Amino acid sequence: MIRQIVKRDGRTVPFDEKKIADAIFKAAKVLGGDNYEMAQDLAHQVVLYLEQQYGEVEPTVEQVQDAVEHTLIENGHSRTAKEYILYRAQRTRVREMNTKLMKIYEDLTFQDAEDNDVKRENANIDGDTPMGTMLKYGSEGAKQFCEMYILDPAYSKAHIDGDIHIHDMDFYTLTTTCCQIDIEKLFRGGFSTGHGFLREPNDIQSYAALGCIAIQSNQNDQHGGQSIPNFDYGMAHGVVKTFRKLYRKNLAKACELLCGMENAEETIKGMMNAIQEETGLYPILADDNGYREEEAKRLGEMMDPALAEHCQQFAHKSAAQETDRSTFQAMEALVHNLNTMHSRAGAQVPFSSINYGTDTSPEGRMVIKNILLATEAGLGNGETAIFPIHIFKVKEGINYNEGEPNYDLFKLACRVSAKRLFPNFSFLDAPFNLQYYKPGDPNTEVAYMGCRTRVMANVHDPSRETTFGRGNLSFTSVNLPRLAIKANHDVDLFFEMLDHEIDLVIDQLMARFRLQASKKVRNYPFLMGQGVWLDSDKLSPDDEVGEVLKHGTLTMGFIGLAECLKALTGYHHGESAESQKLGLEIIGYMRKRMDEESQKTGFNYSLIATPAEGLSGRFVRIDKKRYGIIPGVTDREYYTNSFHIPVYYEINAFDKIRLEAPYHALTNGGHITYVELDGDPSKNLEAFEAVVRCMKEAGVGYGSVNHPVDRDPVCGYTGIIDDVCPRCGRREGEGVSVAHLKRIGAYKNYNADTIGYHGDPHEEADRIPNKV
Amino acid sequence: MQTTQYNEEEIMIGEGVGFERIRRITGYLVGTLDRFNNAKRAEERDRVKHSVTSPMERI
Ligand SMILES: [Zn+2]
Repeated sequence: MIRQIVKRDGRTVPFDEKKIADAIFKAAKVLGGDNYEMAQDLAHQVVLYLEQQYGEVEPTVEQVQDAVEHTLIENGHSRTAKEYILYRAQRTRVREMNTKLMKIYEDLTFQDAEDNDVKRENANIDGDTPMGTMLKYGSEGAKQFCEMYILDPAYSKAHIDGDIHIHDMDFYTLTTTCCQIDIEKLFRGGFSTGHGFLREPNDIQSYAALGCIAIQSNQNDQHGGQSIPNFDYGMAHGVVKTFRKLYRKNLAKACELLCGMENAEETIKGMMNAIQEETGLYPILADDNGYREEEAKRLGEMMDPALAEHCQQFAHKSAAQETDRSTFQAMEALVHNLNTMHSRAGAQVPFSSINYGTDTSPEGRMVIKNILLATEAGLGNGETAIFPIHIFKVKEGINYNEGEPNYDLFKLACRVSAKRLFPNFSFLDAPFNLQYYKPGDPNTEVAYMGCRTRVMANVHDPSRETTFGRGNLSFTSVNLPRLAIKANHDVDLFFEMLDHEIDLVIDQLMARFRLQASKKVRNYPFLMGQGVWLDSDKLSPDDEVGEVLKHGTLTMGFIGLAECLKALTGYHHGESAESQKLGLEIIGYMRKRMDEESQKTGFNYSLIATPAEGLSGRFVRIDKKRYGIIPGVTDREYYTNSFHIPVYYEINAFDKIRLEAPYHALTNGGHITYVELDGDPSKNLEAFEAVVRCMKEAGVGYGSVNHPVDRDPVCGYTGIIDDVCPRCGRREGEGVSVAHLKRIGAYKNYNADTIGYHGDPHEEADRIPNKV
Repeated sequence: MQTTQYNEEEIMIGEGVGFERIRRITGYLVGTLDRFNNAKRAEERDRVKHSVTSPMERI
């Protein structure tokens, strides 16, 4: 007869059979059961089983719970047993939460980021600053709260156990991931940031400044990256306005100087306004709209026609040059701002991306050229800018082949990327992108956000398969290697388990959507309040956002296809054609399930090749503990990103691209392929361009080339530095003499704060400006 | 007329100053390796370069 049980803390308490009956009844009730007598009966069987197992020894709480599970399963109540297990796990977690969270807080408080992986979870947050640490307190607390009280225990368990990873769980109850901001629409008529109204900008400088503010404002409403999909088209309006102003100024100057016109500024202004009122014309860079002829007529009445023509030529030429310079300065300021302006309590800069490359207007081209040149020049002391992520849109007929209008800008993009790692390249000719493309309409050009997110198809509203104002709502990744290890080389079993996992993810994404949908417009003063999100301009502040959010995507991701294949077949997809075939079947199946769910529900389910920050170590850590070290599977500190060929595997760049390309067609929620180049690709631009062209031809959607970019802050050298700086000859941490720096021309303006280096004479001399 | 005498061969600058190393991690550029978490540091360390000679050229 059991009288007492041993609690977890070692104390003994009286045994109460009723408590067991209650727990069983509770579990059964979840499944619709209402038979308390049966629960009592089962509880009694538990007691008998315990007595049989432990005799006179007092059982522990854990042993009692094991006995309940055993008895339930023995009696054919396996579903109730499952509920009971979840209930039990939930109770355990609640118990452990407080101590666990406090332990995390303690580490955050007293450890440096150097020793604390949580602080370094996101490389763009400085975990050592007060605001960075405060952000972590909030984030860790929110995650625990969510695991404990918000998530359905089934999702919570799957997440904690490492079957799946629910991304950005700290924001689970708060907001959505990201948005593609249409700046043309946003700037028209001005907008409000929530802290004041900003008028429609009037020149390229204010266009650039407002572009930054738009990104910053929206970053306060969402946790993911903020993207401008039409950067060139949007900024071009600012160039138009700047040119018009500068033309007027220069024409007045010329008229005053050459013809002695009095009150030149007033007179010219009056004339230009009159022309615009009467004909709608104003001066433009292309100089092909008939304005010049109209103006010549009127100037001819005031002065000698030959002189008038001369003034016009001067005005156009000077305005074009000054506009170009002004655009460069605006782009320089934009890059600088996006690397220094803060969001999230000052601990992080916004995650910004800009897409460009297809605007062939002279103004758009001027924007593209100068954003590239500003990026090439680097920040104030020549440092490589971390933000924004640049995405150069490659398109046949526009910039891919010699003779196409923006081909020179494609070449420039390659040159800049070979030095500064940006831009990345997106390929609008990939069939899955081309299907949406309509020439001249940037809203039909697929854009990429942040590190890879892509949003285009729209089953919710098939007439709106467009880019602007849409984004991802949330995503959850599947641990593919885990499933493969569990399947133990049985591919059929693997697919069966994968199917269950997908069911779970679909349900969890929908549960999260329900929470997101119940939020109101006023919760997102910029994203929804300013009509940035598609159709949100039709809502009022107290409306729920659910209906318009349906334009966004609910996305499943995956980690470690390579390790998954290794576990299933012994070879990853770089090593064996059979494995590649199986890999495509697996990812193809995941995509098929997303498409079916979309058709069934009218929600945009999509499949993403997960970027693995924070996750790549977590899954493998748990799996190593569970399954030990399996060669090629759990024997490293990370699982390979999404569908990538493992980074440690020797493979030719072109082979890698061709093997990864077919996965781009399957991952409609986003993808990227990387190639690692040896040496300094600035010195081998042909090879760099060959890699980009190979991506395009292979059907890659989005790609990027990695290469080391090192910099010596003392002499300003940017390139590859192994042990010794190739320019000044110092080793890391060593000093170098002022005399030596002077001899190599790398010494300027020494003072104690700046180490002496400002600007880079060598780079400036090498820079070749492109003609517009 | 020179008022201060100093030898520029002897004035050293840059002592204790490291090199900056920019790398791309899951799509974002990161200024120094210290801010990567452990798994990402390991991944970066393991990366091998991809040759750009075509298979034909290698033969
Ligand atoms: Zn140096």
